Amino acid sequence: MTAATAPARSAPPRARRVPPAAAPARLLRIELRRSSMLWLLPLLAVLFYVSTYRPAMDNPPFWNIRGDMVQSRAMLVFAPLLAGAGAWIGSRDGRRGLVDLVGVTAVPRWAGQVVTWAAATIWAELLYLAGVAVLYGVTARQGAWGGPLWWPVAVGTAVVAASCALGFAAGARLPGRFTPPLAALVTFLALAGGAFAIQDNSRYAQIWPLNVQGPFPANSYAIFYPYLPDLAIAQVMFLAGLAAAALGALGLPAPAGGRWLRGAAAAITVAGLAAAGTAVGLAGTDRVEAHGMVIPALHNAASDRPTPYTPVCSHGAVPVCLQPAYRSFLPEVTAALGPLLGQLAGLPGEPVRVTQVAVTTVQSASSNGIGFGGPAIGGRPPALYLPLAGVSLPGEGSTSAEFIALLRGQYGPSIVNELVGLPASMAVIGVNSAGNPGHAAQFAVAQALDRALNGTAPARPRGTGASPPQAGLQAAVGRFAALPAAQRHAWLAVHLAALRAGRVTLSEIP
Amino acid sequence: MNVEIADLTRRFGRTQAVAGVDLEAGPGVFGLLGPNGAGKTTLLRMLATVIPPSSGTLRLLGRDPGGYGGRRQIRRRLGYLPQNLGYYPGFTVADFVEYFALLKEMPPGRVPAVVAAAVERVDLGDKARSKLRTLSGGMLRRAGIAQAIVNEPDLLLLDEPTAGLDPEQRVAFRALLRDLAQRATVIVSTHLVEDVGAACSEVAVMDTGRIVFHGTPDELTVRAEGTDAAGDSQLERGYSAVLAAARATAGARS
Repeated sequence: MTAATAPARSAPPRARRVPPAAAPARLLRIELRRSSMLWLLPLLAVLFYVSTYRPAMDNPPFWNIRGDMVQSRAMLVFAPLLAGAGAWIGSRDGRRGLVDLVGVTAVPRWAGQVVTWAAATIWAELLYLAGVAVLYGVTARQGAWGGPLWWPVAVGTAVVAASCALGFAAGARLPGRFTPPLAALVTFLALAGGAFAIQDNSRYAQIWPLNVQGPFPANSYAIFYPYLPDLAIAQVMFLAGLAAAALGALGLPAPAGGRWLRGAAAAITVAGLAAAGTAVGLAGTDRVEAHGMVIPALHNAASDRPTPYTPVCSHGAVPVCLQPAYRSFLPEVTAALGPLLGQLAGLPGEPVRVTQVAVTTVQSASSNGIGFGGPAIGGRPPALYLPLAGVSLPGEGSTSAEFIALLRGQYGPSIVNELVGLPASMAVIGVNSAGNPGHAAQFAVAQALDRALNGTAPARPRGTGASPPQAGLQAAVGRFAALPAAQRHAWLAVHLAALRAGRVTLSEIP
Repeated sequence: MNVEIADLTRRFGRTQAVAGVDLEAGPGVFGLLGPNGAGKTTLLRMLATVIPPSSGTLRLLGRDPGGYGGRRQIRRRLGYLPQNLGYYPGFTVADFVEYFALLKEMPPGRVPAVVAAAVERVDLGDKARSKLRTLSGGMLRRAGIAQAIVNEPDLLLLDEPTAGLDPEQRVAFRALLRDLAQRATVIVSTHLVEDVGAACSEVAVMDTGRIVFHGTPDELTVRAEGTDAAGDSQLERGYSAVLAAARATAGARS
């Protein structure tokens, strides 16, 4: 020490000239430079790659799939880790024996804590947003149709901030080496609990931050209609409320600051809790609509207008037209439906084109689940309206050949059923309806066409042994399937209207 | 007077750590001596506004620390080195000192200069960019002193400041204290009697929460005369004599 040689107020020998800056900004700069979160960034980057980027690249370049992943998959990994890291950073003063020292400074302790939290959160947010930028950049380069979905990113950033805040508050209140792993575990369990609550049909559980569009699969929304942000708005509100409440609660104890500051902290805490509670309440009013989750109080009717697009079409006898987002699957869809449509060409009521349409959803009466409507023939001239949601696309775990087989298996019978006038469900339970002569003939023709196209074995009747009507049905299927294609086509051309009307019996089938 | 204390007490449950202390201190180095558990650290923590007193009157730098406004004003002009100094291992010396300069609401434009000055004054200029985790115990103590003096405090409270310092550094530290005390009140709690003798203009001896002696180091030395108190120096013998007398009085009273 140099008191003897250096007077108390001597000019500093190593002073740097820097422009004056606001004290909070300088505090933040120090915290940013020295934040423990920096040590976690490489791990977070690896986890983002493993949990989000790589699975995203294994899927087709759809903005909805990528958007879903940056919210649900990334946050499943990030949230527990960030809560743990937040707890570690929040418990810093307690663990390091600095509570007295930082507690007697002029800047209110609460303000200092908020700066420390902010620095940690900024790093986590930057890493997350960098990961999203890379993922979205690659998606754009892959030629994805439409534009990036930002609401899932907004929810993701809110999850990051809230996880850090909740963990930080836990660490600051209960400083100890076991607090960070406990915070991570509790966060993970809370996320898991949310998943169970959703499965248990709790409507309020829709607020769960990993929930993107309720029961809608990722590839089923934001294609034909804009992304519905209702649920995301409620989630951001909920998470921001939690973060505010957690941080505000840190300012409530007497050492945190003066009366006004503690009053402000109390107001922030109450406002945060109110926001979170309101968001949960709003989520409880949500409902499944045709193209996403709708919360009436937050819904903007402008989101219900279809997104304009120019379809991409194949140029066969029966053109297949898809939404441009599905452009790369046009060859597979054409290959899957072409043989069937060729068999049906020229028949009365046969579709003259195939048009992809938005999925239609059916709210299940007993759960949050939804069902998707199948293909339908309609319009004038008739068109086959084909929803593609709920089908595993090439790149989503299936090859092109598997996709073609899947389309044939899933949509072929439905299309044939639709053509012969058989309800779609009869494709599965048709044999049990064989008692109805009209349905029996429709079913027999549908089965025969399916067998002729795919070489599949006829459906076996349920139960043991074939009753006489069922034996007659199988015989009719066998007969009709064995006919040459031209003969089948000629018979159908004459009898299709009667078949649809249920006026053809099994014995009349050649 | 920078420190005015009247009948100050502090209880922790049934334990009375500080029991009716009266004290006044102006600019200068004030030594606080006493055995373990005498109440020195508790008294210092009250003076540092870490904990409020249980009863009594406390005025620091002419203000009442009971209210938040007064406390905040005091804290701007306060330097405090706790007995067990915590630190952020990832911070450099300069970061650590700058961090506390900002928390003490130093004008941001002045911060780089005062940080550099404080670091130089504790002779850590060449370690300014070193992480705290790489420093020895003595260097950490000096970094702690640097953060305490960075705001050029009017009231500097140092709890065992020379613990871990080598003899050369202790000599330099005493010189620093004398220098700071030209305008500030420096209260040093220590076990090391020679530090008091070398640096302090006033000294108080505490035992069982009470001040049992208040005077100059010379007056403490005189207390050893005519006694067989133990100690390597006159001051130590004076200290031992004061404690022995206080305990004898307390024993007779009980």
